[in-house]
This record gives sequence, C-alpha cells and structure tokens, in this order.
Amino acid sequence: MGDHPHAGAPQSADTGLGAARLSDPADGGREGGRYQPMFAGAGARRRAYARAHPIVSLVAGRTGQGIITLFLVSLVVFAATQLLPGNAARAILGFSATPQRIRALELELGLNRGWWSQYWGWLSGLPVGRLGASLANSEPVWRLVEPRLLNSAVLVAVSGVTGSVLGIALGAVAALRHGSLLDNSMTVGALAVLAVPEFVVAIGVVILFSTVVFHLFPGVSLLTPGENILQAPRLLVLPALSLTIVTIPYVYRMTRAATLEALESPYVEMARLKGVPRWRVLVQHALPNALPPTIQVVGLTFLRLAGGIVLVEEVFDFPGIGQGLVNAVTDRDIPVIQFIVVVLAAFYVVVNITTDVLALLLSPRRRIPT
Amino acid sequence: MTEREFELSRRDLLRYAAQGAALVGTGSLADLSRRRTARSSATTAASPRVKRGGTLQAGLSGGSSSDTLDPQNWVNLVDGARVYSLFNPLVDFDLDAHPVLSLADELEASSDAMKWTIRVKPDIEFHNGKTLSADDVLFTFQRIVSPKTPALGAISLKALDIAHAKKIDKYTIQIPCLTPFSPLADILASYDFFVVPVGFDLKHPIGTGPFKYESFTAGQQSTFVKNKNYWESGLPYIDRLVISDLPDEVSQVNGLGGGTLDVIDLLSADSIAPVRSGGNNVIITKGGGYTPFTMRVDQPPFNDVRVRQAFRLICDRNAMLRTVFSGNGKVGNDVFGLWDAAYDSALPQREQDIEQAKSLLTKAGHTHLSVTLVTSAIGSGTVQVAQVLKQQAAQAGVTVNLKEVTSSEFFGPNYLSWTFAQDYWNYYPYFSNVLQGTLAGAPFNECHTNNAAYTSLYKKAVATLDEHKRAEIAHEMQQMEYSGTASGYIIPYFNPVIDGYASRVHGVTSSKTGLPLGAYGFKSMWLS
Repeated sequence: MGDHPHAGAPQSADTGLGAARLSDPADGGREGGRYQPMFAGAGARRRAYARAHPIVSLVAGRTGQGIITLFLVSLVVFAATQLLPGNAARAILGFSATPQRIRALELELGLNRGWWSQYWGWLSGLPVGRLGASLANSEPVWRLVEPRLLNSAVLVAVSGVTGSVLGIALGAVAALRHGSLLDNSMTVGALAVLAVPEFVVAIGVVILFSTVVFHLFPGVSLLTPGENILQAPRLLVLPALSLTIVTIPYVYRMTRAATLEALESPYVEMARLKGVPRWRVLVQHALPNALPPTIQVVGLTFLRLAGGIVLVEEVFDFPGIGQGLVNAVTDRDIPVIQFIVVVLAAFYVVVNITTDVLALLLSPRRRIPT
Repeated sequence: MTEREFELSRRDLLRYAAQGAALVGTGSLADLSRRRTARSSATTAASPRVKRGGTLQAGLSGGSSSDTLDPQNWVNLVDGARVYSLFNPLVDFDLDAHPVLSLADELEASSDAMKWTIRVKPDIEFHNGKTLSADDVLFTFQRIVSPKTPALGAISLKALDIAHAKKIDKYTIQIPCLTPFSPLADILASYDFFVVPVGFDLKHPIGTGPFKYESFTAGQQSTFVKNKNYWESGLPYIDRLVISDLPDEVSQVNGLGGGTLDVIDLLSADSIAPVRSGGNNVIITKGGGYTPFTMRVDQPPFNDVRVRQAFRLICDRNAMLRTVFSGNGKVGNDVFGLWDAAYDSALPQREQDIEQAKSLLTKAGHTHLSVTLVTSAIGSGTVQVAQVLKQQAAQAGVTVNLKEVTSSEFFGPNYLSWTFAQDYWNYYPYFSNVLQGTLAGAPFNECHTNNAAYTSLYKKAVATLDEHKRAEIAHEMQQMEYSGTASGYIIPYFNPVIDGYASRVHGVTSSKTGLPLGAYGFKSMWLS
C-alpha cells in the first residue's frame, strides 16, 4: 500500500543515500534547489516567497503539494477499486450470490450509481468530516477506523522510537569502533536482519516468546472491541518487538555511515589535531553533523513502518489500520479503503515535511535566508 | 478432573452417538424426537464429572467486516458459529448429520404431503424471558420468505405456501403446500432456519440458544454469556464464550500454542503437527461437505457426456486426498448427500482409468483436448486439488490450463456460469442438495443440469412420505448422477475438518456435517 503515498513525495528522501548526501557540509549548495517554492514560475510569487524565511516557504509549498498529492492518491485508489473484479455486494454475499440477491444489495448500497457520483459523494463529504458509512456493515467509517488508528499509531510510535534510539546508539558505537570485531559483527547482523521479510521475523518472535521456547506473551493480539491497545499493553509487546527488530538495521546502517563520514571530515581531523578528547569530538562535532541525515532516516523509518504494519498486523491479528485496510479491500468496502489510504498518505506528507524542517533547522548553513 | 475421567465422558459421547445411529434405519418422524431424547439424557449422565464456569476463547477461521448475526442470512462460517450459539432451529443435525427435532416437538405431514403441522416444545424461553410460541414460528417463516428481502432459505421453501400458514394453538402452526413436499425435516435442519421471536431486531439478537448476546464487532470479536434458562437441561457449562475472527491460520495456531485461544477450527493438514507438538489436541472429522469440479453440461466440450465421464476417470481420488489433506477425509464417488439414509453406498467406487478416459475422449472426437479450469481459494484445498487434476489430466493427453482468480472475482458476475470451475458445498441431506444444486432452475446449479427424467423422479420422490420408496427413487437419481447423464460434478472427496483445542478443554465433539467443532457445540464444552 505504501507505494501510492510515497510517489507523492519523492523529493524528500527517497533513498537512504540521498538523505545522507543532503547534509554533507561540503556539498551544501548542491541541493539548494530543493527548497524553492513550487510555483516558482509566477514572478510576483517568487519575490514574495524569496523574502519569506526558507522554513515558511518550505512548509507552505510542501503543504500545497501535499494536498494535491492527497487528492490524486484518493482518485487513483478510487479508480483502482473500480478496476478490481467484484464489488461489495458480491464480497458480502460470497457463494450465496444469486443474481436476485446481488441486485437487491447493490441497490441498497448505492453501487448502481456511476463511479463519478460515488467518488464525488465521498470527496465532497471529506472536508466537512462526513466520511460516510462502511458498505460491509453500515457502521460510520470513523467509528470503525478510529480505534484501529489509535492502535496502529501506538504500534508505530513505540517500535519507531525504540528502533530509532537503539539504531542511532548502536550506529554511533559502531562508527567509533570502526573496523573492530563489534562493528563487523553488528554490521553483518544488521544485513542479515534486513534480508529477512517482516512476517518471518514476526513468526520467529512468536516461536521464541510465545509458543515454543518461552510462553511469555500472547502470540495473537486479540483486543476486546472497545478497548485500546494502551489498556492491554501485553498484546503490544510482540508486534512492537518484531517491528523494532526490523527497524534497527536501517537506522543503524545510516547512522553508522553518516557518523563515519563526519568522523573522517577535515573539521574533525582538525579538532583531533588540536587535541580535543575523543568523546568531545564525537558529541560536539561529529554527531551534530551526522544528525540531519539521521533524522531523514528516522523519518523514512516511520514511513516504512506505516507500510510494514500491514504484514505484522496480519500475523498477530492486531486490530490496526493495516489489518483494517486488508479487510476493507477484501470486502471492496470503498469508503473505508479511501479513508485509510488518505490517512496513510497524509501521514507520509506530514512526516516528510517534518523531517525536512528538522533537517533544515539543524543545518546551520540552510537556516540563513538566501 | 483427571485424564481418565475425561476418557469416560468421551466414551459416553461415543455411546450416545451410537444410540443415535441405531435408530437411523427406521427413519420415521416420530424417531426424530427419540433420538434427541437419547442424546440429551446421555449429556445429563456425563454432567456430574463436569466442571462448570470459565471463559472459552474460540479463534475461528474466516470472518470479515460484513459478519452478521442474522440467523437466516449468515454467509461465512464464523457467522455460523455465532448463530448456532444464539439461536436454535426447529430441526437440527445430530453429530451423525441426521436430522433430529430441536425446538420442534412434532413435525407431521398430511398423508398426501400437502400440509405440514409443526408443534414446538412448551416452556422454551427466549433470552428476554418470553416463551416460544406458534406466533414466533410463523414470524420466522414469514421473515425467511419475505418478498422484499427473501432469505437464503426461501429457495428451499418454495413448495410451501407460507402466506397461508396459520396458527392452530399456542404451540402449533399448519403450513399448506403448493405441491406435495415430504423432506421438510431435511430442509429445516439445513442451516438457515433458526427461530427468531416476533418483531426480531438484529440490534438485539434474541434467540433461544445456549448463549446470550453481550457484544459483537463485525470482523473482530463477539462476547456471549451463558443462557441460564437454556432448555437443554444442564447446558451450557461455560459462563462466557468469546469468538474471535482469525483470517490467518498462522495466528490461529500461534494463539492456541501461546495459550490465548482454547479452540481453533478449519486447519489445513500442515497444522496438525505444530498443534500437537505444542501439547494441544487435534480432532479430525470426516465431514460431508465437498468441493466439486463443476463441468457445464450445456457447453462444449462438457456437453458430451463421454467427456464428463472421461474427466471423472482421469481423477486419482486417493492421490488427490493424499496431496491436499495428507490422506484425511473420504474419497468421493461423484454423488452427494454422503450421510443421508438415501445415499447409495452400493455404487462401485470410481477409480482412475486413463485408458478408458482416453478411449472415451477419442470417441467424442477430442484427441488433443485443452480446457481452462477456473480455480480460486474458495474452500480448503481447492487450488491444490486443481493443480493435481492438471497433472493427472496430462497423463491422458488432456491439457488443463489453470486460471486462478481471487475469490471476489470467482464470485463475480461469472459465478455459476464458468464452463469449468469449482465450488464449495456444505453437507446437505440428499433432497435438500438436489433442490439447491442439480435440479433445473436450482439457484446454485453451476453445471446447468436440466434433465427431464431426473426432475420427474425428484417430483415423485418428494410427493411420497414412504421413506423406503423415497430412498429407492433417490438411488435412481444417484445412478443418473453417477453415470454423468444428470450431473456435471466431479466429487473427488468429501473434505475432512481439522480442528484444534487446548488440553484444558473437554467435551469437544465432531459433527459429520463438516461444521467445525461438532457444529459449534460450545454448549457441551467445559474447562478444567
């Protein structure tokens, strides 16, 4: 699912390498064009933006782009639902789908209307918060999705933060001990984990902590409806652990590379020659410069998690939006699909803007209005 | 509770199953109630050893956001589990898949099979305390055949004139028939005829079942509590029943292994070993449900009966069963209604015969036949068995191109009109299945069979109340299905049902209908 929203924001950080290059102090000017306002062609506007602080113009430009992206995403996804074989009426009736029953249900669900009328009905309701009702069970979309949204947000936040903190710490340590046994074994370990699909990690975690070796935590996250995951933290442990495990290697590798680069830079060499202690070189000189690319990586990590929860939620039967989306697609439940996709896309847009702003704030050279 | 005592109660279960079986042969309607009594008394006998209370966590296969508690319009099997817990039908299947009276106390036809009298048991209470009466039964039938939103069961009741059904006394109704119709007990047991009270509202799903509604979230979970006034005395044993939808078999097995779930259902053969190695139990049932290959008899090449016969001879049914279900299950013979007293088990078992198949195809003028089989994961093992058929067909020089589609596409506009495909059927008594599947104009006639002789035999059969005569006619009809003249099915096997349960769960039964966990017999389960 992650592909659609991602396509809308490619300029921010589409690969880890691009993100790392972004902050290379020696290369600062190269990507300066990134922060030009998107409507640069209009002369008057260009001047107005040029006078504004770069952060303001960045946020304004990106928000505008983001809204257009969301609109396009919703249109593309809606078109995709129309191309899928079958519809909600057929999905609901399954093998009891006789032509008469299909016709009656299609009429009841309004599926006999043209696609444009259905899409407009949905789109016009969105700005005023009228999200419609699920085709599968007539419940209001918000009531169905809201608890899932909270559960997934908690899952992504917990595993994203834990994974990032551990990844940054381990990455910095590995860079400091560059070439040591510790560095080499952690790097190989990270590569190994990266090579394993998320759901295999999840199954491994279940075998280890739930079913075969230890019986510590539940292997399925069956939440009582009406309860949220914060009220049953035990159910969060294994899904969050699985996602943390797959998150660490990414952050680790990027932090390690960025820190190594900083440690080998002329200003660090200079500091060392002056006799600044090793830890102070790391904390005061190398890390601040390695931070912007790392933030981009953390941003990317959260984006990856937002897509990665689908498989992990499926393995644990975790009641989040990933599972909700899979169910909605199976049921051809268009209002629910549309809303979840827009929420995910909005998350991509917001995370992209945030990471860019943070990277900008942390790069001294870019804070100065040009 | 020790293991030995559990063995004893299991033996009790076997014993009363045998008592039921002993009464099968006679088959008159009066026997129906005797069988039910036999079953209830055995249950009571087992009760002193039983431990009461506790919450049973069931993690059941399937379900979706369109789950419903509507007892007359349920579709997926998790719906079925909930419906069986909240409601009772007038006639139910016993564990041997024979119809037995449930809420009904008497089911009697007039001698010309043109009028049915149905009396319900007295003093049965709905969950809201109201006593079950003739009005509720009338309302139930009217709800099923409602002209605006007919339920699935309406199809099977078309011989009955529900509009002119009337109340005779507090517990009795009478329904006239439009045409003579004798196999009403078979129909009423067939999954869609649960009784609801007058004015039934789906928001408050009130029934007479062993459990009462507490909460329900479609696609996720439901919580039911014990019905203390349940009419089968002593049942149920557990206080709470939590049913969770588990779309993924891996999470079912993990949930059982990790102790979150107590019972899981509809597993593949691959899960038998992991469940057992986790210290839990597996129960394998030879069910009567089947996943036939469907050949349209009105379209080439299958409009030639020799081609249909050839395809049936191509199948090595044992090999199919071995590949798909590790040999569990029962080999099929292209005739359905496996557990019906009218099922002709004397028909010779059809074996693979490649030479004969080739010669039939040559006679039909198809030396290099190539067909497309539409397959989809619509029932357990459907895609695998299609792959096996492809390989076996190659031995006879027939090319089977597999076209695998998603289940939404399978049930899309082409559903029931694919030339060569598969389908999924629960167990139905013979005439109930004929009425829905193979009769001309039947709603699920995938093969488009339309055989005048077959139809007239059916009409003759349902006009007679003599069960022996009806069985004789059924055998004639089955002969026509077996030979392929009135059928486009290949029934390679009857699907086994594989369920798992934790060692602390007792009283798990097995139903030959193929509905998992003893047709969702949560009422007889207890926890140690």
